[in-house]
Amino acid sequence: MASTAQTPGTTLPKGVAPLRAGQGSSFLWRRLHSLTGIVPVGLFLLEHFLSNAEALSGPAAYNAQVKFLTGLPFRLGLEIIGVFIPLLFHALYGIYIWWRGENNVIDYPWAGNWGYTLQRYTGMLVFFYVGFHLWTMRFTGVHLTEHYQASFWKVQSELSHPLILGFYVLGVLASAWHFGYGCFLFAAKWGIVTGPKAQNRARLAGIGLAVVLMLAGLASLYSFVGKYPEQQRNPMWDLHNDAAEQSRLTPAATVGVAR
Amino acid sequence: MANKTVLFKIKRQTTPTSEPFWEEFEIDYRAGLNVISLFMEVALKPLTRDGKATTPVNYDSNCLEEVCGSCAMLINGRARMACSALVDNLEQPITIEPFSKFPVVRDLQVDRSVLFENLKTVKAWVPVDGTYSLGDGPRQLPQVQEQAYQLSQCMSCCCCMESCPQFNESTGFVGAATIAQARLFNMHPTGKVLKEERLAALMGDGGIQECGYAQNCVEACPKEIPLTKSISDVGGDVMKKAVLDFFRL
Repeated sequence: MASTAQTPGTTLPKGVAPLRAGQGSSFLWRRLHSLTGIVPVGLFLLEHFLSNAEALSGPAAYNAQVKFLTGLPFRLGLEIIGVFIPLLFHALYGIYIWWRGENNVIDYPWAGNWGYTLQRYTGMLVFFYVGFHLWTMRFTGVHLTEHYQASFWKVQSELSHPLILGFYVLGVLASAWHFGYGCFLFAAKWGIVTGPKAQNRARLAGIGLAVVLMLAGLASLYSFVGKYPEQQRNPMWDLHNDAAEQSRLTPAATVGVAR
Repeated sequence: MANKTVLFKIKRQTTPTSEPFWEEFEIDYRAGLNVISLFMEVALKPLTRDGKATTPVNYDSNCLEEVCGSCAMLINGRARMACSALVDNLEQPITIEPFSKFPVVRDLQVDRSVLFENLKTVKAWVPVDGTYSLGDGPRQLPQVQEQAYQLSQCMSCCCCMESCPQFNESTGFVGAATIAQARLFNMHPTGKVLKEERLAALMGDGGIQECGYAQNCVEACPKEIPLTKSISDVGGDVMKKAVLDFFRL
């Protein structure tokens, strides 16, 4: 093991820094990133795929599922603490992890390295997809917490554009893979499965989960674009549901009560 | 008819700070050539392919039987040992480069002292130094010996680190070899007295958490050391320690 002799006046390339024992907090953040991928983000993903699969039973069942979810107590708190914050942390720290990695799958085209690479590309794709999905489905358009009856229609009209449908297909496939393979990565990194045989099984199980989620997601998408007829838009959905709006809309009823 | 030849090019660098350059060589083919013997041929007749005089190639090597770990380099883009890289199995022209993630000393010789620093940081030893004899150590079970033997074959070649996408200047990841050595000495009945300290060291910046599980290390390792098993195993130990520290410290 040769070492370079330091000549005064020249700066030698340092190479990779040695381990910094006892320094920094990257262990906490990196492991938290790993954990948030499973709980709560992964758990929410499972719920989301399952809820969307209600669409297979038709618009009424789908709308009822949305009614149930939007009617949960502390809904906004659950959304912010259980979904938005962990999701944003997982996404942003994930991008930071990608930025610090040095992908070499061209030189070392091995299965595990492809898994590593795919985990980064699918993560990035899901990041853009979820951003778009949240913007169009959660933050703009007909508000589903107020008009759950509009849910099936809202998704259906969104998917009527072929490019957006294509983006949804990609988003479903990428998020299913990212979560399924991520479960294997979690089990391997946290020392739950350690040996090569056990890890092969865990990898297969993770990929199997990904494939099941992909099929479920694609089936749900199909029920919006092909299985059920086009829903009609109801102009009521554009109005807000608070008391003032109610009384403005139905003055006769209000007056009737007053008299 | 012309004799069969071997075509190869070497990425060379005169000083640690100078610019690298490529030189092409062509030598007569012989059966059983390895990459080291190509360098020996160049040293015998230091002429490039187009007949220009050059210097013999600088490289680390020692045992020439894949046990010392000195002659690791990039051969056709992959991290491996030059001594066990047989010309018959390589696509020509063979490209030979120094490791890309370690400072070049000269030509193919690189500074791999980061591994030594990392081994010291995780205290990869059995602490028995003293002024008087401590007597015999505790007995090791044969099944533990068998596991330990695999890990003890590490020859510090650094192929696992060179091929790891997470081992780079941005992360300063410790690399698989050090983690496997920490596992080896944690397994040892006397060495495990330092287990807590080793695990704590591996939780620092650049520690085990930086592993992205690309699993290149275990594929690249010339000694077939179970590196991913070691990372998962030590990863589990580190997590247990982290959780216990969180509740008990």
